Amino acid sequence: MRLPRFFTKKRGHRRTDSQAWGSFAEGLFYALLVGAGVVFGLLLVTGAVTYAPADPDSVVLQRGYEWWMWLLTLLMPVALLAFGGSGLVRVVRTWGKSQERRAAASGAVILEGIAGPSAGVAGRPAIPSCDNLENSPGIVLRYRLPLESPENWSLVGFGLFALLWNAVVVVLAVGVGADLIGGTTDWLLIGLLVPFVVVGVGGVALFVRSVVLSTSVGPTHVEISDHPLVPGRRYDVRLGQGGAHLFRSIELGLELEETATFRQGTDTRTQRIVVRRVPVSGWQRVQPVPGGIFEARVPLTIPADAMHSFSSENNAVQWRIVVRAQPDRWPEFIRVFPVVVLPVTAADVGAVPESVEAMG
Amino acid sequence: MNAADSHGAAHGPAGSAPPFPRMDLRFGHPGRRYEPGEWVTAEYTIDGLNGERPRALERSALWYTEGKGEEDLGVYFFERVSTPETIDRVVPEGTFALQLPPSPLSYEGVIVKIRWCIRLRIFFDSGRDHVSEHVFTVGRVPPSILP
Repeated sequence: MRLPRFFTKKRGHRRTDSQAWGSFAEGLFYALLVGAGVVFGLLLVTGAVTYAPADPDSVVLQRGYEWWMWLLTLLMPVALLAFGGSGLVRVVRTWGKSQERRAAASGAVILEGIAGPSAGVAGRPAIPSCDNLENSPGIVLRYRLPLESPENWSLVGFGLFALLWNAVVVVLAVGVGADLIGGTTDWLLIGLLVPFVVVGVGGVALFVRSVVLSTSVGPTHVEISDHPLVPGRRYDVRLGQGGAHLFRSIELGLELEETATFRQGTDTRTQRIVVRRVPVSGWQRVQPVPGGIFEARVPLTIPADAMHSFSSENNAVQWRIVVRAQPDRWPEFIRVFPVVVLPVTAADVGAVPESVEAMG
Repeated sequence: MNAADSHGAAHGPAGSAPPFPRMDLRFGHPGRRYEPGEWVTAEYTIDGLNGERPRALERSALWYTEGKGEEDLGVYFFERVSTPETIDRVVPEGTFALQLPPSPLSYEGVIVKIRWCIRLRIFFDSGRDHVSEHVFTVGRVPPSILP
């Protein structure tokens, strides 16, 4: 029998050596966790029973723990038993089963014995759901697309950081103030407080700047005449941009973005990359009507050779309508509206591209 | 490379175990290119069994991702033949057909790639197994390049 190699190449869930040895080692690890949980639990439980030297024939039961203390004490062994036990059950259930069999058991039809092909999975496998994109009707066109702006997440991030950091600053400041009132001066604490205050003020300034940026340029609306989209077909898109400022430029485009999630050590990272840009329309020196919005309606044709939208656990290929605007006295901003593109079917091949008319 | 063989569990040191079988698969389309919804037909032969009796054969059609992200896998068709009465009907040669789903299409992206393949996995009484993978293309999506 060939012994397993202890140093093997590993990337995420992929194994490059024997599956059997890998599963065995995994099972051994979980069995050790279960064993540790049992031993740890027994030690804790039996530790409550003591021996009385004055009366060797009797055993003294110590009942000094409250119920919540018991819960706290048994938390660790129960966690070990639960984690190890569930892992052990998973290893036993998948032992000797191929990767395809395990994957099929979780989704597709398993045919035992000789049988014909499966009847096919209903719908379109690996195409992301459109439910979230089609639940808002537009004013002029059929759907108003939801905004997926990275600016909003930055705003939330800056807000949370400013809040938490300044909470720490307040706690430190209260300590320093109490010392000063008490007549003592802790220079070390004061020295620590100064950089904390600087960072806290900076955090608040960043948050306020983000709020001003996101509210001053006005909202962006995108409506589309139909959804999901099909390669080769033409759709109507209505863009609405609010704001009282002059925009040096506004560009509307279609982008294809690939997303890959991978593990690097113990970290999980996600990389995004735009692999295709399709300009749709652009405007120079746009001045929205005071109190109103800039509106434009343009045709959008999905490239006939476009890859369809794809989504799986760790990988995605996503189409999105992107609005890039450059206000006169503010930084450029980007607003993203995801859409779903379906794969071309046999019926679509050779079909004359058609225009989908607006529906109010 | 369109076909790849690899070995699974518990096999002995070089020279002591019987050699692994060779599994050849021929697609109905010589170019191995199919449209979504089209029928895929395949004929396969397994040589080099050297009298060793297979315990089971798994035939599957699946897509998987390659690239920077963790591998995702979607099995569209899976068939396991493991009874003594039926194993002789699929080993050492056999045919099967399946109708492809409308998605996903094969895709050659920058950090995400999607591949379709047929896998044949044979299990022996000794506990070892051997898998053969045969890649084919679904759809006509051109490769992506950075803009």
